Amino acid sequence: MAVEQTAERTGTREEPIVTVRNLQTAFFTDKEVIRAVDGVNFEIVPGETVGIVGESGSGKSVTARSIMGLVDSPGRILEGSSVRFHHTDTVREFADRFPGRTVDLAAVAEGRDPEALFAHDAVGATPSAFGYDDASEASVADFVAAGYGEALGIDPEDCVFITEGTVDDPLDGFVEITRLSGESQRAMRGGRIAMVFQDPLTSLNPVYTVGNQIEEALELHRDLSGREATREAIDLLEAVGIPDARRRVNEYPHQFSGGMRQRAVIAMALACDPEVLICDEPTTALDVTIQAQILELLADLQTDRDLGIMFITHDMGVIADVSDRVNVMYAGEVVESAAVEPLFAQPRHPYTRGLLESIPGRQEGGRLQTIEGTVPTPNEPATYCRFAPRCPERFEPCDEVHPVSVPVNDEDGDHTAACLLYPEDEPREAAVSSHEARDDSVREQGGERR
Amino acid sequence: MSRWRYFFKRLVLMVPVLFLVMTLIFVALRMGPLDPVAAILGPEGTGGDAQAIRESLGLDQPLWQQYVEFIIGLLTFNFGQSWVIQPGRTVTELVGIYGPRTLWLGFWSILLPLFVGIPLGFYAGLNPNSWGDYVASFGGIVWLAMPNFWLAIMLLAVLRQTAGGAGPLGFDWYTFGPNVESLIGTPPLDFLGTTWGSLGPLPIPTGFDPDLGELLVAIKVILPPALVLGSASMAAELRIGRTAFLETINSNYVETARAKGLSGRVIVWKHVFRNALIPLVPIITNEAILLIGGSVIVETIFGINGLGALFFNAAVQADLPLAGALIFIFTIITIGLNIVQDLLYTILDPRVGYDQQ
Repeated sequence: MAVEQTAERTGTREEPIVTVRNLQTAFFTDKEVIRAVDGVNFEIVPGETVGIVGESGSGKSVTARSIMGLVDSPGRILEGSSVRFHHTDTVREFADRFPGRTVDLAAVAEGRDPEALFAHDAVGATPSAFGYDDASEASVADFVAAGYGEALGIDPEDCVFITEGTVDDPLDGFVEITRLSGESQRAMRGGRIAMVFQDPLTSLNPVYTVGNQIEEALELHRDLSGREATREAIDLLEAVGIPDARRRVNEYPHQFSGGMRQRAVIAMALACDPEVLICDEPTTALDVTIQAQILELLADLQTDRDLGIMFITHDMGVIADVSDRVNVMYAGEVVESAAVEPLFAQPRHPYTRGLLESIPGRQEGGRLQTIEGTVPTPNEPATYCRFAPRCPERFEPCDEVHPVSVPVNDEDGDHTAACLLYPEDEPREAAVSSHEARDDSVREQGGERR
Repeated sequence: MSRWRYFFKRLVLMVPVLFLVMTLIFVALRMGPLDPVAAILGPEGTGGDAQAIRESLGLDQPLWQQYVEFIIGLLTFNFGQSWVIQPGRTVTELVGIYGPRTLWLGFWSILLPLFVGIPLGFYAGLNPNSWGDYVASFGGIVWLAMPNFWLAIMLLAVLRQTAGGAGPLGFDWYTFGPNVESLIGTPPLDFLGTTWGSLGPLPIPTGFDPDLGELLVAIKVILPPALVLGSASMAAELRIGRTAFLETINSNYVETARAKGLSGRVIVWKHVFRNALIPLVPIITNEAILLIGGSVIVETIFGINGLGALFFNAAVQADLPLAGALIFIFTIITIGLNIVQDLLYTILDPRVGYDQQ
């Protein structure tokens, strides 16, 4: 089964390096549980940019921080969430460094019947909850991803999974990022997945030189130190377009301008040659000309290094410019997902339409359209459409049925929207009840969905 | 390096400050309400006696001449003789006797808050809203709210009660560690066993024979007054330290450091600690200045014959040379601590002295 899954992924399109499945991150306060991220799915593909767009408070940044493992108490990633890092070299390295934490899924699947697993007392899921018609299609990996691994005695504390080959010679597999902790988490952070933050003016430590802060990452992940590290830091600064890097490497952040600082932050993020770069509004704090330069730099670096980029912004213009694929987030959920052209040409979700209409200069004459109201705080499980109160196309079932992502009829097969209006070719009632049924089965999957 | 040029500039700026202070001392002493002639003479002197004393003190000379002599005296550390308190002894001699006691007290009352207040504050800042934080913060406020003189008397009362093993678990402060006979009194400060030689007018130490037992006694005697004297600054440093740490730990560059994959220990000691120290520097040096000058009450309660008590007596009894010299010494200490503060700033923060030109 595990082998089948691998075979399935070898298509013409490049395989994703990060798959985010049913990511749920919640903050537990005395008063309420805030579900900042509530069941998000998307992929990051090498050499491509996936854009995450939405208003403030839609859960974009928490999604990024969940992938980085930077969610602080009182927040945590709930059971049943899965963020997989598919990279054979990393799997090999991690299997080598953390031998006790490696699981050979093929070996584990041996002698386990998925139908019997569904019947297990600890498992409250049905095959349809995993998106299968028949129990035999499910793999042990699905159970692990859904958080039943521990109950089934498969993975008490493990993080590296081998899907092909053996523990000693892993040919393929993935690292389950949500289960990393301590040293393995720090090796992933910065080493494999790096992040660029919003405000370059404050994201460098004012009391150390820029070179020192780059060298510190080089020393940690690449064992470089002294002269070698300095030389590498100079190379990195040159690569991100900082002139006179040899002198600049010994300067302090306050001697850099805003744009230069963001370049330095990018150099720092690239220090360890990561596979994935997460950019959390990297240009929001910069003025427009500098913004264009930084976006161009990111595009160049992506081509050179085959980087998978996850780009977060609230600026639809920037997202159209940089992304290959766009996910629109609203109140912790992805409401529409499509390649960039179809999304802008034919936005399907009423929220996406609203966002596009509120870009200045896109409408002919008249006043600028806005979406009335603000993003609600998702502090209870969604049993209704969270956008309904602000939606111009709202109809009665919107308050009672939680929409799931469904394909919309488009030439692009990958275009999905989470709205009761779709699929359009079905009668309304049938569409609504199919949403209802699929939402129930997702809920049934259990985990910590409450 | 512009940082060090800034530091040098600050150093040079201290010179006019020093002259201003010396002039103010002169004006206050010569034109103030204190009349040294009356103080020396007592109520039964005659006009002739008064004139004789005035002449011997040089008070009959023109004011500008007195001023020049006064300044030269201060700058060469030639402070003259005490007029009233201990007539015939030089001020330098008196400071040599009284000064070390105050310095010893000041040293410990700076050290205690530094090594108790700041670590506690950092602990509280690292674990905000935990039980440890609540205990430390609440304790800090209570500690800050207790006035020195009250705390001193309470501490003496409690320690006195432990005499003869009457304290909890048979604790007896008098025999705890080295034996002491009294809670109050001047600490013995000859633990260094210094033998003095002289280099021109300045005495210099020529040999040491440290005595560990004596040192322990000196520390034990100074601990209660130092605890009382340092209590306010300990609480202040705790609270500022907590805020500084909390603010730094939530800053974006700490987030960046975490995203880089650095371990928690490196983040706290490299990225947080140095930044959190910056707002604490002026607090520490200002507390130090207060402690050295403002110890009169504590010195009186604990029966320590230090500079605080000496200055108080000199000012009340119109001993002009002594009072003036002591003010001058306090000023020099203050200026010195300000220089230390600038030096610490310059070392800690590269942004010091940076103006965008």
